[in-house]
Amino acid sequence: MNVVQLGNITKTYVKTGRPAVSDLSLNIPEGAVFGLLGPNGAGKSTTVMMLCGLTRPDSGTVNVLGMDVATHANDVRKKIGVAPQEIALFPTLTAKENLNYFSRMYGLNGHELSRRTDQLLDTFGLTEKANKQVHTFSGGMKRRLNLIAALLHEPRLVILDEPTAGVDVQSRNMILSFLEKLKESGTSIIYSSHVLEEAERICSHIAIVDEGKLIMAGTRQSLMEHHQDCSTLEQLFLKLTGKNIRD
Amino acid sequence: MKILSTIYKEFLLLIRDPGGMALIFIMPLALVIVMALVQDAPFRDYQELKLDVLLVDMDADSLGNKIRKSFQATGQVNLVEERDSLIARQKVHDGEYKAAIILEPQVSATLRRKTRQLIARVFANFGMDADTSDNADVPTIRLKVLVDPAIKANYRQSLASGIEKIIANVQTTWLLDELQDQLSEGKDSARKIKFDLSQIATVDQSYAATNKFAGLMLNSVQHNVPAWTMFAMFFILYPLAGNFINEREDGSMLRLRLIAGSQFAVITGKFFFYFFVCLLQFVMMICIGIFVMPLLGLNQLVLGGSSALILLTACCVAMAATGYGTLIAVYFRTAQQALSFGSISVVILSAIGGVWVPIYVMPEILQTISRFSPMSWGLESFNDLFLRQASLGTILPNILRLLGFALVTLMASVFIHNSRTVS
Repeated sequence: MNVVQLGNITKTYVKTGRPAVSDLSLNIPEGAVFGLLGPNGAGKSTTVMMLCGLTRPDSGTVNVLGMDVATHANDVRKKIGVAPQEIALFPTLTAKENLNYFSRMYGLNGHELSRRTDQLLDTFGLTEKANKQVHTFSGGMKRRLNLIAALLHEPRLVILDEPTAGVDVQSRNMILSFLEKLKESGTSIIYSSHVLEEAERICSHIAIVDEGKLIMAGTRQSLMEHHQDCSTLEQLFLKLTGKNIRD
Repeated sequence: MKILSTIYKEFLLLIRDPGGMALIFIMPLALVIVMALVQDAPFRDYQELKLDVLLVDMDADSLGNKIRKSFQATGQVNLVEERDSLIARQKVHDGEYKAAIILEPQVSATLRRKTRQLIARVFANFGMDADTSDNADVPTIRLKVLVDPAIKANYRQSLASGIEKIIANVQTTWLLDELQDQLSEGKDSARKIKFDLSQIATVDQSYAATNKFAGLMLNSVQHNVPAWTMFAMFFILYPLAGNFINEREDGSMLRLRLIAGSQFAVITGKFFFYFFVCLLQFVMMICIGIFVMPLLGLNQLVLGGSSALILLTACCVAMAATGYGTLIAVYFRTAQQALSFGSISVVILSAIGGVWVPIYVMPEILQTISRFSPMSWGLESFNDLFLRQASLGTILPNILRLLGFALVTLMASVFIHNSRTVS
């Protein structure tokens, strides 16, 4: 079963006048860690926003967890967890207060709320800092907390946009290890990143997009086998998207 | 539960924002105290003020004495004697004194002569015996009053009216004296009657209200406390919009948009939180009016009307203020735009709404425009309640306007916010 089915979606923003996503079709199988890779301006963020129902495609269909996002956006949002690239937290609230608030907005209460927040704080090594205000946190701690906030309601599909941006090696390792465990539990993950070594480490499937178009998609293994002249994912990426700087 | 969580979250955000706390609570308190003190003098009317006025009495006769006695009796003018009219002119010009009354030599004698001529002419007209030997043309008596250009027009008018009243009084008394003299033909002057003109007719002023609040007037405190309280309540848009746009910019609003069904709770929670903050501001400002203003030598705020109706009006103003703040918050995309537009618009709404000066002193065009300011609806209701102990029926139109304004701004906010949730 596919957790995500994109059928010929196109999206053009009025401001730019050129398509951010053009005729993109993609299937993401359940339980996969799906790497959505592409240079700046490739259309990754627009695709993610369309998956969440925050951006409507001009044409095409977006189906997530068996539901049409156009008509069931709220039902889809209940079952997905999104960690945006920005640190989407309240800086003057403590870690615990942030998580409590987001948990309640997800509909969690009482024991279930405490269990989930305590468990995730412990998993990400933030228990001792739970009562500190977020603005006092290091970049790595903020990034981990940002991820926790997307996982509070135990979503079936987790969408991560640059989840390790600006973090130190230890935090990155902790996040990636957690994602590997999450994958083992059967949760599907969409992983959008520029860091190809990370994608190489955790992704079972990969799609490379550029200028709004799908360049290539498949299992990581099949892609590498198909391009035996590339020994790393980075070499494959550069081969497919070129070496020109994208701003 | 989601709404309560949002209210609690907003509470935490606010108490950890010293600048926001100062803006919401300390600045309005300082503002209302300063404005009440500054506007205390302008609000006091002529009856309450004692003007320092020079009297240059070169006449040294009865008219000067009458002026002294009359002004002394009213207690509104502090007469200071000055011999030289040029010095008096200079002192008034320098602003040392507000005005100078100059009695030229022989002014009393001239007034007496004119009354004598007048009575003689009346007698002669009716064929009665009268001394008409003095038929020379006596010029009109002109008293000079020099005024400081800085003096308010109503003070100048009051002073002139006071002097005219004194002269009229003297003239009438002397006319009656002369009438009796001419009738008695100089004999039996002991039979002359001294009239007390004030017993003939007097103006008895009283207030329309008959309850214990009769006599309560619009003074600096009665005007400034409700007026600046409303200003502060509408200024809630500053922390509200700032906080809302910060959440949009730092991404936390994006996370909330990604949570199903959270948007209604977010907007409603914010609305209720800032609504309660507005009510808290109102209670604090009222307490300042009642307990602090008298300590500063100002009048005490008197809540003449029903407490329930005052609370109802405060709730409606709070809703209108919060609705407006929410609309500004969701409409503008940057904090700079929202806060600049928001604060300037509140200043304009307050100016035309009668916060700075009462609406009745504004030009007619502004009085018409003021009908469209929610602050004027609130202020009018508070004045009706505080000064006139109005009923619900009296304040209802303004209450409905405030509620309508709140409803429209809130609905527009929800519409704009939702339309921007999905691009």
